[in-house]
Amino acid sequence: MPEGKFCNKTPINTEEQLKATLGDKGGKQYYEEMNQLDVDSDKLWASIQKTMKSRTKTWLEICAHCGLCAESCFLYQVNGRVPEQVPSYKIQSTLGVMVKKKGKVDNAFMQMCMETAWSKCTCCNRCGMYCPLGIDMGVMFSYLRGLLYSQGFVPWELKIGSGMHRVYRAQMDVTTEDWVETCEWMAEENEEDWPGLEIPVDKVGADIMYTCNAREPKHYPEDIAEAAILFHVAGENWTVPSEGWEQTSLSMFAGDWECCKDNVLNVYAALERLKPKRAIGTECGHAHRATVIEGPYWAGRPDGQPPVPYIHYVEWLAEALRTGKLKIDPTKRIKEPVTLQDSCNYVRNQGLKDVTREILSYIVEPGYFVEMAPNKEHNYCCGGGGGFNGIGKYREQRNVALRKKMEQILDTGCKLVIAPCHNCWDAIRDLEEEYKIGIRWSFLKPLVIGMLDVPKHLLPPEE
Amino acid sequence: MFKKILLATSGAPSTFGAARVAFDMAKRYGAEVVVFNVMGVPTKAFSQVVNDVRTGEEIEVDDEYRAWVEEELKSTFEKQIESVEYAKIVTTTGVPSREILRAARAEDADLIVMGASSGDSSAYRKGYPGSTLQRVAKAARCPVMTVHRETASYWGGFGNIVFATDFSKQAENAFKFALNSAKELGCDLTLFHALDISGKVLDQNDIEDKLIAARARIRETYGPLMGDFKDFDIEVWEGVPYVEIVKIARERSADLIVLAHHSRELDPELASIGSTLEQVILRAGCPVVSVSKPDKV
Repeated sequence: MPEGKFCNKTPINTEEQLKATLGDKGGKQYYEEMNQLDVDSDKLWASIQKTMKSRTKTWLEICAHCGLCAESCFLYQVNGRVPEQVPSYKIQSTLGVMVKKKGKVDNAFMQMCMETAWSKCTCCNRCGMYCPLGIDMGVMFSYLRGLLYSQGFVPWELKIGSGMHRVYRAQMDVTTEDWVETCEWMAEENEEDWPGLEIPVDKVGADIMYTCNAREPKHYPEDIAEAAILFHVAGENWTVPSEGWEQTSLSMFAGDWECCKDNVLNVYAALERLKPKRAIGTECGHAHRATVIEGPYWAGRPDGQPPVPYIHYVEWLAEALRTGKLKIDPTKRIKEPVTLQDSCNYVRNQGLKDVTREILSYIVEPGYFVEMAPNKEHNYCCGGGGGFNGIGKYREQRNVALRKKMEQILDTGCKLVIAPCHNCWDAIRDLEEEYKIGIRWSFLKPLVIGMLDVPKHLLPPEE
Repeated sequence: MFKKILLATSGAPSTFGAARVAFDMAKRYGAEVVVFNVMGVPTKAFSQVVNDVRTGEEIEVDDEYRAWVEEELKSTFEKQIESVEYAKIVTTTGVPSREILRAARAEDADLIVMGASSGDSSAYRKGYPGSTLQRVAKAARCPVMTVHRETASYWGGFGNIVFATDFSKQAENAFKFALNSAKELGCDLTLFHALDISGKVLDQNDIEDKLIAARARIRETYGPLMGDFKDFDIEVWEGVPYVEIVKIARERSADLIVLAHHSRELDPELASIGSTLEQVILRAGCPVVSVSKPDKV
């Protein structure tokens, strides 16, 4: 059973392993080793028998191959409508065959499954809405990813991604010290413009505990500052935990179930330690899915809920605008055609479709908001979901995948796209870099800060 | 006063002027130079792939690439690095303005020295001349020195400083920096205010009254803070502020202009042009120091 130095069935658990794997430029050696990687059929079959529950079994069996899911898949649409991109075909030819053969499959089959699972499905779950039998290929592909991960057939970047979560409990190498230091730094950097601004760390019993995406402290700490400014202006009693602040889960995209559980327990431990009234996550879709929608089940919580009410940033923002905690200066509202990207992970997965539109009703001058078509729970994936954005091996396929979103945006005629999800924001940025259609993109936080009607006492003293 | 100078450079020729000033200052005043380079801007969701700051190409940052960039920087600034007592090269990836601020904080730098813009050498698409400078100048705790056009006669020392004030709070910090520099480096100091009459047609008597008032205001505001420092004079001219600042610097053969940065506007499209500071930086024939915060003056 030859296992490679980098490509093997063992997860990355130490910093040393992580750095070594990172040093393998582009995963060159990793993918070479993958060609030699044996499939442990017994283990695979045992795992399927143990973990494949009746829902997945039934779905695999009752699929009528009617093809009604075909048009629902944006990857089918942008890839010349070839049969290989029909969702039911994609799952039947991979997971379906793996089950039928009782795990007795070979390396080439596993590599085909890997390619299908990570470059032909973003787990956006749109197909599930159009299947007359309610079969959700996205859910099944997540399951398949887990099986593939356990056998070592996972794209290089995602092996690293879940390794990051295992080593640092963050998707990037941000340590507790780095994080706390960043909070201090951001409070300091903005205290002059916002007198009294604080980013309280580990305050017990606050109304809100805020969690974020590791990319923020790593590269875009202004996002944390912006969250702080809005909480400050809204007069919220809030805090961030020193441990358990990272809400994302690349392990979920990698199929590393064990790591998923560890991460979400880390966040929940912070909730139990700091006892806030509720928790609010940043503008990130998959982080919300991982911590709020799927997390409770990974953590084995009997009620299927996080320890305290846990809401997405858009829910808090809508509430703050609705209740007047934050006031918008009507003269500063957006007065240009603007469109909204619905993130699959909190729109289709949790139904937060109206709340984002409520926010837009406050910040956009009436008549300027243009819906994409289709939209809300029918909206298409940004093109880079499910880890697709980050995988170098499938860059080309990802760039093709962006075309659907490009068409949708071009059809609206808008030059400004609001994307309250990190991954969608990235995909739309990449889309502009790749196709140069002349658009801008933004999170909600900076837009709202720019148009706030700030009470006088919160402004710096007049010079 | 300048124990540690952070030279933020892409390694491109547009930053050579800044490098020259930074190293000359370090040599003269015994400071340490941290040659700081942001190799690439993170892209594609995870940080392994970045866009090279200079070429715009997608690269994977690994030990080999890091070593190559360091080697390039070392050979670019070889003679200068040898000429100072302490120098080190620090490289990283990230958004340049953010990483410069992070490094300045981590290194506890006394001064950041940088070019005004990445010029034509920047292929990074979202950059625009000055965007990095704008952000750094706004948020840095220490003074930020910009070198855009060098005077041919510059020899590394400062003899004449022009401090331009608009009487704002930030200008007080800039003043402290200008005064301390003048004291410590033995310079002449010109306190200057440009009475903004751009776009207005004013009565000449009115202008003259205002000039007298501004002169008095400079004397009242800064006079008591001068202590035993005597080598200063006060000038107030009317006109378009950035033109007048550049003019007086030229007239006094100033080798340093100090002024406050207090634009709150960070939207690149709005902030990239129009501020007095930016126009002074682009036009002045000597280094320009912008001061925003009181910490390091």
